[in-house]
Amino acid sequence: MKKFRVTVNGKTYEVEVEEIGGASGSAKVTASEPVSVSEPKVSALEPKKVEEKVSPAAPISEAPKSAAGGTVVSAPMPGKVLSVSVKEGDRVKEGDLLLILEAMKMENEILAPISGTIKQVSVSAGGTVNTGDLMVVIG
Amino acid sequence: MDQLVRELEEKRKRVLAMGGEKAVEKQHAKGKLTARERIELLLDEGSFVEIDRFVEHRCTEFGMEKVYLPADGVVTGYGTINGRLVFVYSQDFTVRGGSLGEMHAKKMCKVMDMAMEVGAPIIGINDSGGARIQEGVDSLSGYGNIFFRNTRASGVVPQISIVVGPTAGGAVYSPALMDFIFMVKKIGIMHITGPQVIKAVTGEEVSSEELGGAMAHNAKSGVAHFAEDSEEDCYQDVRKLLSYLPQNNLEDPPTIQSSDDPNRMDMELRGIVPTHPNKPYDVRDVIKHIVDDGDFFEVHKYYAQNMVVGFARMDGMSIGIIANQPKHLAGVLDIDCSDKASRFIRICDAYNIPILSIVDVPGYLPGVAQEHGGIIRHGAKMLYAYAEATVPKITLILRKAYGGAYLGMCSKDMGADVVLAWPQAEIAVMGAEGAANIIFRKEIAAAEDSEKVRQEKIAEYRERFANPYVAAKRGFVDKVILPEESRPMIISALHMLETKRDKLPKKKHGIIPA
Repeated sequence: MKKFRVTVNGKTYEVEVEEIGGASGSAKVTASEPVSVSEPKVSALEPKKVEEKVSPAAPISEAPKSAAGGTVVSAPMPGKVLSVSVKEGDRVKEGDLLLILEAMKMENEILAPISGTIKQVSVSAGGTVNTGDLMVVIG
Repeated sequence: MDQLVRELEEKRKRVLAMGGEKAVEKQHAKGKLTARERIELLLDEGSFVEIDRFVEHRCTEFGMEKVYLPADGVVTGYGTINGRLVFVYSQDFTVRGGSLGEMHAKKMCKVMDMAMEVGAPIIGINDSGGARIQEGVDSLSGYGNIFFRNTRASGVVPQISIVVGPTAGGAVYSPALMDFIFMVKKIGIMHITGPQVIKAVTGEEVSSEELGGAMAHNAKSGVAHFAEDSEEDCYQDVRKLLSYLPQNNLEDPPTIQSSDDPNRMDMELRGIVPTHPNKPYDVRDVIKHIVDDGDFFEVHKYYAQNMVVGFARMDGMSIGIIANQPKHLAGVLDIDCSDKASRFIRICDAYNIPILSIVDVPGYLPGVAQEHGGIIRHGAKMLYAYAEATVPKITLILRKAYGGAYLGMCSKDMGADVVLAWPQAEIAVMGAEGAANIIFRKEIAAAEDSEKVRQEKIAEYRERFANPYVAAKRGFVDKVILPEESRPMIISALHMLETKRDKLPKKKHGIIPA
């Protein structure tokens, strides 16, 4: 029995393959539930729309929307990431600390602009970012 | 006589019905008040005196000769706010969508002229679909007349614009020429070209709230200075704002009797600003501990948040505060905050309001976007505005004051009358690390353990230069004070400067970098 990890369309499956007969080569495949799923909606290939619907009373969100509809937290200044306080899947409230970005001689606290679930963390402690770089996506 | 009385009463009734019951209902259904309800909420009760109630339009095109528009779609007059005279116009959306025609504009111009003559603030309540198309160039001329007066009144009497409805196309420029813009969320909209035009031309799809709503203009474009949740909140804030302003440029702002002890020493101030220069904090906490009763009226709160500006009182005197905000973007100076601060400085100067600058600034924001966006000309506005201002200028340095940004935040040389500094202030050409790397570059490179030498040199530089005493030795800092002494010292400086006289050379006007 051999185990393989197969990624299809961004979904990762763990697959077990067992060799039965010497020559037949037929294989029994059991696919378990995907173990790590990188959210299929977070895809840079999806076309981007500025706003879903035009309605005068639509509430506005101050943060830019990502391709998947999540809220992107991007780097406000060039700097070095000192620490990251969240990981994918965490729930955060508006104003919660996401990470600390050292820039302009200051340990800048980067806070969650909205409440939600962390969909993506693209930076790690010690890494550097430029203005506008995507750091975290909150969905 | 009875007949004449009845006639006048009939006429009054007709005007007060505005666009009719149905139109008023529709206005309320949109969550909006009527033009008259708005004035009642804004002014002191019963103080409003309406003028030009019976003005009618003169248009005879497109069947307009048969159309009666009550008050021609705008209610104008005067009244009081906290007992002080103000002039008001309030556009009536229930009358032909508040559209602006020749006589509508004439009514607005009349109250503006009166305000200028007697020296009292102008408050405009905007709720209009735009130009009355049937009136053609007469309508356009109306806008022109309003813009002209807005500009001539600028810096003479306070002008406040309240946007509680659509304000589109050229109509946005009257608010833009005024001193302060209030927008109420969900009902106030401002844009030059609307969502449909934008979609047709550039293909971008955007809702009108997202394009030109209160938060769009408060947080992104910086066009508006206040975002209000409701009309009621909005009128209360307008009343509060006026309490800090004089009636006109020849008067001083009103001073009130304060119950907050001018000599109050607030020991909590010692704990707010971290001594370590890399730690952020909220500068508004410092402001609230210094000013009367912790009451700080912030202006432009959502825009360029690395700079905090607003009004407060100290010993009852009205002051304008400009402060770096270390909590946001490390408190750097950039294009947007330079625009925000320089405009606020000029408003304070125009209306004789002393300026308190609170400094904790690491420098200018580096980056290609800033340079190509024109940080040079935008940043220059701050220098210009500070140097030009003749009102009392007090500067309080809390912590970092480096390089050009130190000058940009009103150093002694830029015309500060009194410069105070806390003991942890670092007034230097740049931060210790950067400076040591440059000055001792050779020694660091030549050393066996260069990192160790580097750290030693940084410490040495910090010891010698990152303090307020080098600047104090030269007289650039008038006084090094303990944090808790800030309030008494600033108040004493404000009193000392009450009779300050400073005149600019005679000229038409300067040429501000733009």
